[in-house]
Amino acid sequence: MRKHKFFAVFAMFAALTFVAAACGDDDGGGTGGTGPTDTTGGAVDCEADEFGCVEVAAGAPIVLGSLNAISGDTAFLGTDVNNGVILAIDYLDGTLDQTPGQLLGHDVELVQEDDGCSAEGGQAGGTAIAANPDIVAVIGTTCSSAALGVADTILGDKGILLVSAANTNPGLTSEEAHQPFYARTAHNDKIQGAIVAEYLFNELGLTTAATINDESPYADGLAAAFRANWEALGGTITAIEQVNSGDTDLGPVLTSIAEGDPEVLYGPNFNPVCALTAVQAQDIMPDVVQVGSDGCLESGFIESAGELSNRYIASYPDTTVFAEGAFYQDEFLPAYEALSGGAPTAGFHAHGFDAASIVFDAIEAVAVDDGSGNLTIPRTALKDALFATSGYEGITGIITCTPLGDCATDVAIGLFEYPFWAVEGGSEPADPVYSDVKSLDEVI
Amino acid sequence: MARGTKDRPTEERGAQLGRLEGLPWRKIILTVLAVFLVSILTIGAFKTLTLPADQRYSAAAWRDFIILGVAQGSIYALIALGYTLVYGILRMINFAHGEVFMFGAFAAFFFADAYAASGFLDSNPVASMAILLVVAMVTSIGVALLLERIAYRPLRNAPRLVPLITAIGASLFLQNTARGFFGAQLRGFPVPSALEGTWTIFGLELERVQVIVVVTVVVAVAGLSLFLARTRTGKSMRAVAADSEIASLMGIKVDRAIVTTFAIGGLLAGVAAVLYAITFQSVNFSMGFRPGIAAFTAAVLGGIGSISGAALGGVTLGLLQSLGPALILTGYEIPSPFQLKDAFTFLVLVMVLIFRPGGLLGSGEAEKV
Amino acid sequence: MGELASRGVLRAGLAGGVVAIYVALVGLYTRFADLELVGEQITLGRVMLLAPALAAGSVVTRPRTVGGERRPVASGPGLTIGILTGLVSGATFALAVAFADWFGVDRIREVFVQISEALIDFLTFGLGVPSGLLALIAVSVAGGAIGGFARTAPADLRKPAAVGILAVLLLGLLQRIVPIIFVELGFEADWLYSPVTGGLTWLGALLIFAASAAGSFLLTRDGGRASERMRAKVQKAPAAKVGLLVAILAAASILPLLLGTVISEVLGQVMIYVLLGLGLNIVVGYAGLLDLGYVAFFAFGAYTTGLLTGAFLNTTTGAAQPALSADINFYFAVCIVALLAAGVGVLIGAPVLRLRGDYLAIVTLGLGEIVSIITASKWAQPLIGGPQGMRGVTKAEIFGLNFQDNPQHFYYLALVFVLLALFVSRRLSASRVGRAWNAMREDEQVAEAMGVSTIKFKLLAFAMGGAIGSLGGALFAVSIGSLTPASFEILVSITALAVVILGGLGSLPGVVVGALVLIGLPGLLREFEEYRALIYGGALVAIMILRPQGLVPNIRRSRELEADEASQDAWAKAATGEAEAVAAVVPGGALGGEPEDLG
Repeated sequence: MRKHKFFAVFAMFAALTFVAAACGDDDGGGTGGTGPTDTTGGAVDCEADEFGCVEVAAGAPIVLGSLNAISGDTAFLGTDVNNGVILAIDYLDGTLDQTPGQLLGHDVELVQEDDGCSAEGGQAGGTAIAANPDIVAVIGTTCSSAALGVADTILGDKGILLVSAANTNPGLTSEEAHQPFYARTAHNDKIQGAIVAEYLFNELGLTTAATINDESPYADGLAAAFRANWEALGGTITAIEQVNSGDTDLGPVLTSIAEGDPEVLYGPNFNPVCALTAVQAQDIMPDVVQVGSDGCLESGFIESAGELSNRYIASYPDTTVFAEGAFYQDEFLPAYEALSGGAPTAGFHAHGFDAASIVFDAIEAVAVDDGSGNLTIPRTALKDALFATSGYEGITGIITCTPLGDCATDVAIGLFEYPFWAVEGGSEPADPVYSDVKSLDEVI
Repeated sequence: MARGTKDRPTEERGAQLGRLEGLPWRKIILTVLAVFLVSILTIGAFKTLTLPADQRYSAAAWRDFIILGVAQGSIYALIALGYTLVYGILRMINFAHGEVFMFGAFAAFFFADAYAASGFLDSNPVASMAILLVVAMVTSIGVALLLERIAYRPLRNAPRLVPLITAIGASLFLQNTARGFFGAQLRGFPVPSALEGTWTIFGLELERVQVIVVVTVVVAVAGLSLFLARTRTGKSMRAVAADSEIASLMGIKVDRAIVTTFAIGGLLAGVAAVLYAITFQSVNFSMGFRPGIAAFTAAVLGGIGSISGAALGGVTLGLLQSLGPALILTGYEIPSPFQLKDAFTFLVLVMVLIFRPGGLLGSGEAEKV
Repeated sequence: MGELASRGVLRAGLAGGVVAIYVALVGLYTRFADLELVGEQITLGRVMLLAPALAAGSVVTRPRTVGGERRPVASGPGLTIGILTGLVSGATFALAVAFADWFGVDRIREVFVQISEALIDFLTFGLGVPSGLLALIAVSVAGGAIGGFARTAPADLRKPAAVGILAVLLLGLLQRIVPIIFVELGFEADWLYSPVTGGLTWLGALLIFAASAAGSFLLTRDGGRASERMRAKVQKAPAAKVGLLVAILAAASILPLLLGTVISEVLGQVMIYVLLGLGLNIVVGYAGLLDLGYVAFFAFGAYTTGLLTGAFLNTTTGAAQPALSADINFYFAVCIVALLAAGVGVLIGAPVLRLRGDYLAIVTLGLGEIVSIITASKWAQPLIGGPQGMRGVTKAEIFGLNFQDNPQHFYYLALVFVLLALFVSRRLSASRVGRAWNAMREDEQVAEAMGVSTIKFKLLAFAMGGAIGSLGGALFAVSIGSLTPASFEILVSITALAVVILGGLGSLPGVVVGALVLIGLPGLLREFEEYRALIYGGALVAIMILRPQGLVPNIRRSRELEADEASQDAWAKAATGEAEAVAAVVPGGALGGEPEDLG
């Protein structure tokens, strides 16, 4: 008798909940759909825009979102990007003077969310941002796992523009996976893999390589990109190995790799795997050239690796190549140090600066002022304006956005020999031993 | 009355079923399983050893695998001794022992870093190593005793589940405490130049650190066994391990024996910490977690509660981690076999426990209570 | 008064000081120094300055049980003792700060990275070392006084005040969430939350305090008569019980509509862990099998759902088809997943379930780790994507509801699953199976002797627990849509275990409470993300020592644990010098004397 009653109650509520859901379905927050504002003589038709418009009242700030890793073990990457964005806001008035500038007569407010460098974090942070109807666009994410299929979809479904300054995983801008409102100023790792492969094969004349990656999607993707380019050049891959991110004892796996006698050991990982590989491979493979990537190039590596008897080279965005190179050295870096109290902790601050800058340009292009300071920014038009960016001279290079979201089309990657790295603890002169510029259509 | 005729078919069926039930099902399944597993392992090994010559591992590689395995395993053995001692006396797995190890390593690191900067590390290697060891031991003992006092003593008589969960919580807590205190960054542990390089023993070229590690384990096991057998404290520890109520009735201070046990475990962990830090030249707040799991796996593998079991289990585990992927998985052409080394090790553990629930040196029977 | 020996005050005070030093070293002060809770003056950092002394003062003045008689401390002496304790605590902490300042902050930072000039500044209230330390001690004294007074004040005063303060603190911490609720409901929140500081306004804080204190007062006056009467009424009338249940369900159903997408998203994650907790509760709570590898079923459920509903692998070139895949409707797929998981549970369980408690724990831990490792492995990459993972899991659309894109809808889906699991758990525990589990848990050998086939029931527990866990994984897959190995680590197993333990083993409402506390609170308070694991660990230890039966205990289980509370108290009593009296009674106590040579 009790059992039937319970079951009845349960069934009733299962049904009720579905009914409630179906009836109570509002569009959820985030579209900023205050409806079409009838601006006097406004050329903006918000109703026609699939995702509506963002209204910024006179005197109110334009709200920019930031979805980056600001806590946890990858916080050094996320805060680095954020600092770049803050400097871009500073630069709105044309100078880096530690005072924020204005865009179209409005202040710019930065709302920070944490992407936690994970899918769950990307979802939580993305949902929080999507619920805020005032956010015009978002700079993020830091980790590809937070973006791919998660934040790019959540924000894209609300028509919120998401521009990443640190995602390098090639899958994000692939035909199958790309979300219409996602773009990035960070390089596509296919380019990084290609430039590194060319340097080692053509310049150094090495022909055999082994790759070792940790469990991050970044490392796996970059190692795969390297292998594809290496083999296309004619090189041989002697071993493909993977380690767990928490492993310390890399002796056996390195011994196994040593058996194939590779000339190159490619380990495009994060620390501490980078540092541990570097240290432990010295004795097991004394003649090998070790190569790392931008995940390795940070002060933590220098501190843990100390002196290495192998040759160790890491690839990294080369910001000295382009016309704005002087700007970077003479104005940007000092301003960064004034802001954060130290040297950059990672390599994507310039990409953050560029990402925010092209977003501001796009806003300027499509925002309509009704004459008394109230702005109306249609979302789809904003996205289209961003994707139409072409030939923009950013710190990181010439920015021309492709329809699939890769804005860093001409990417300069440099190879920096250890310990001459431009981070804390590195030696001078921190110049690359090799640098090249490539665009996406030149690589596999 | 109606019973007799109706029941005969049932009886016959019953008899038939009885015969079925009489079959030793468990034995059959276990034997089949054993045969299956052994064949997988041997086929794997066979395939690895008969790979075409250019894909095969050289003899030097096998030698390296074995040496690496024994060296790593010895470190596990040192840590496993701590687990096995505490288990013997309290019947609980001190999940937080890995963190006891980690704090010792950090303490040694700060001293080593200062000594390396001043040059003392290279000029007086014996003195500096001695100081590092003492510092690590003292810190580890301190953490172990704190754990015992705050987290375990109040739960002495609680059901088994409770201290186990407390230990897991303590492990998480200590790890993140270290992260808060010292930062999340990996720190490079300096190696005294006297310990760099190799020694040639019996024609084998061995890393100096590896030799020291193995020697330390042998000394530790021997010393510990002697201690437990001959000294008064050791005997009281064994008595409490056997039956704490009777021991206390005999006048043994149970609390003191338990504290001593934790202290010895901490001492060994401190030694292991310094050796580990020198072997891998790094310390990090999470460095205790995986070795901790590995070490108590080793203790269970060898037969928990037994000193020689812990040592044997440790070395076996180290060998499994290096030889497992190399010998077995390579044969099946599994991509990136070394990433699976922990999985392989746990699989072996499960298999061992299925057939010998008390571990390799255990009694062979499922222990009740 | 003399009984509360100065030793007690010294001890508690020192402990308070040490705790404060710990909080400083681990970086909590630096992190939360600027988080305004009320107005501009009351920041979380400052509250945390008070807290250790407050706790110490409260502990010292707690009622003693002497000779079976419960003797509370009067409020006058209580206040004095609290002040003294706060003084000791503050002095200890101040000494440490002075030392740090003298020794050199930069040198200390080489070891303890959180120590900085900014921290010293905060701790001395900007006044610099000598004078600021006096302020610090004063704050500790105040904290100790509050603690002592709070503990010894008349109950009628104490409880409402405590509830009021806690409510203010909680609403202050939730400063990013509650305004959203107001906006969703169409109200203005400026009177409550200051747009300038982000925290509560003074007016708002006072209102909250008054409201919650009044509410608590009404409920607990006359010694809690009112709430007891309500409870009795509910117990007596089954109609009232069902009515209460209906009311709770109704509330649970409209929540997402009221609270908006952000909170619904958090609630959705809470629901997933409630599901995991319910499954683990069957294994650990009902059957008493310690399973430390629950993530295995979670991962199995998630990836299998992906494979069965047409998800694809992430590759450098874009996407790839998994080696085995199907494109079935989610609702069929989920049934298959649950059945498969049950089967897997039986398969794995069969050989290992005859192992004893601790061995079983390690084996299950190992199995969880094996699954965790395989999800990231290159070996399984052609099937489940390796480090780059999978994406494109079905959105489980039905009746026009989209569960992946809309957190509010997802909540309902999760709620249905949870109700199902609750129903199953309830039925199981009340049935013959449940009774067999109870017998098995309490004494396995006796149960066997009584004819309970332990192996069969253990397998059943494992299978059911596995099925429910895999449902949790399936839901997770649908909610996120993208699966990476980083989501399937050992922390999931430990969190699920913590949820069950915190709530109370074997207690169904406990699982919900546990999930709300351990998943809901950190989900809402993203500021604490960095310290989440630290708090989990500390909470686990604290719960096990102070209240092992959990927050919402199962009556039967708490009796099993009660017998041991006497021994737990023995240690506390020894600390106050009453060991001799108790030791004679409690076995195993130290009886002194020289250990004899055992030969």
